[in-house]
Amino acid sequence: MLESQVIQYRGFHNIVEDGEVVGFQVCVRSDYYRGVWLSQLRPGKLIVDGVTYAKEQVIWEINGKDYTVDELAQASNDFWRITDVATLKVMQKGGLAQGFHDVSVRFAASCSYMPPFLDIFDENGDENSFNGGTYTREKMIIV
Amino acid sequence: MTNKIKRGVAIYSYSGEYGRSMNLEDCFKDMYDMGATGIEILANSHIDSYPELSDDYLAEWNRLCQKYNIEPAEYGHWIDTRLYKDRDMSLEEAREKLINDFKIANKLGFKILRTKMGVINGELAPVENWREIIKSVLPEAEKYDVIMCPEIHLTTVLADQFVQDYVDFIEETGTKNFGLNIDLSVFQNRFDVPGVVVFNPDSKHSLPEEIIPLLPYVKCIHAKFNKMDDDFNELTIPYPEVLEILKEHGWEGYLLSEYEGEKKDVAGFVSQELRKHHVMMKRILGH
Repeated sequence: MLESQVIQYRGFHNIVEDGEVVGFQVCVRSDYYRGVWLSQLRPGKLIVDGVTYAKEQVIWEINGKDYTVDELAQASNDFWRITDVATLKVMQKGGLAQGFHDVSVRFAASCSYMPPFLDIFDENGDENSFNGGTYTREKMIIV
Repeated sequence: MTNKIKRGVAIYSYSGEYGRSMNLEDCFKDMYDMGATGIEILANSHIDSYPELSDDYLAEWNRLCQKYNIEPAEYGHWIDTRLYKDRDMSLEEAREKLINDFKIANKLGFKILRTKMGVINGELAPVENWREIIKSVLPEAEKYDVIMCPEIHLTTVLADQFVQDYVDFIEETGTKNFGLNIDLSVFQNRFDVPGVVVFNPDSKHSLPEEIIPLLPYVKCIHAKFNKMDDDFNELTIPYPEVLEILKEHGWEGYLLSEYEGEKKDVAGFVSQELRKHHVMMKRILGH
C-alpha cells in the first residue's frame, strides 16, 4: 500500500555508491486513477528547499529501470502502474543534508479522452491542470 | 427468476482509496455486501501485472469472483491516441494494444469492453480515424469474443452526430463486436447541488426517452451518480424515469454504479454512497 500523498516519505534518502554519497532520491505515486504508458508522462521540474532541478537532471526509475526524460518520451511499451512508485533520482555529490527538506515534484500524463484544450501541461510552469500539477510535501527527513 | 437488469459496480468508484486503503479483495467484499453481481475493472488500474496478465493475478481473480459470487461485467481500457508528445499513436500501435487487451479480457472472462477512444473536441467526438482503428481489429475481437463499446458520457448528448455514426457503423458492418456503453451522466440535469463535482456547469443533457432507439446497441450502462440523499434518491440524474424505461423495454444487462462525487479519498465514504445507490436501484428495479 502507498501513502495517500503523492510524494512518499518512504524511499526518501541519499544514494550511496562505493561508500560515497552521490545523490538523493524521492518516490512518488501517480495522482491519476489509472496507470499510463511512460511516453504519456509529462515530467517536470523537481524543487528541494527552493533549489530547482530541471527535468533533464532527474532520472526516473520505474519497474527497476532508469529513464532520462528523453527516454521516457519514447517508452511507449513500458507502463507505470498506480500501485507502484516512481523513484526520482538526482546525482549530486554529497546528496542532501541531514534534517528537514521541503520537496516539490511536477508531472502530468496525457489524457486522450479529454478535449485537447484540457489536455495541456506546462512542464516548467506552476499551474495545476486536469491531469497533473506540482505536488509538495514539507519537512521530509534525511537521516 | 433471474433479473434482466443486473446490478454491478465500476470499481473506478474506489479510485481515491485503491492502492492506499483498499485492495482488490476489499472492492469485492464491499460489492458482496450490496448484492452486486458484476464488476467493471479498469485494465490500466486494477491489473497489477498490466500490460501482461500474470498467472498469479489470474488465479487471484478467479478466486475472488468465485468467493464473492461476482462475474466479470465490463473491462475498461483505452486507445491512448496521444501516446507521444510529438505525434499520435499509429494504427499499428493501436492494433497491438487493443489485441493485447482482448486477450487479457478473454482470459479474465470479460465479454464487454469499455473502449475509451481519443477525442478531438469539447463534445468528445472521437478521433477522425476511429472507424479505421475499430475495423482493423474486428476479426480479433470476434476471435476473442469481445464487444468494444465506446462510452457515451457528459458532455456528449445522445443526439450528437457521432452517436448516430456509431450506430450506423454497427448496421453497415453488421458487426457483433461493437456496441455502446451509455453513461447516465448524459441525463444529468442538475449541476447546482452542494457536494457535486462540476467540470462544466453549462453542459447540455439528454431526455430519458432519447435512449429508447439506442437500446438494441447498448451492451452496458454506467450508472453514474454524483450525490445521494439519506432517503436513497440520487439528486442530479432522473434515475426513476431512466430505469423505468429500461424495465419497460426489456433491456438486459448491467447497471454498473460509478461514483463521481466528492470525498473519494475519505476512507469508507464511497463504500457508503455505493450502498445508498444500490438501495435506490433495488427499490426502483423491484429486486
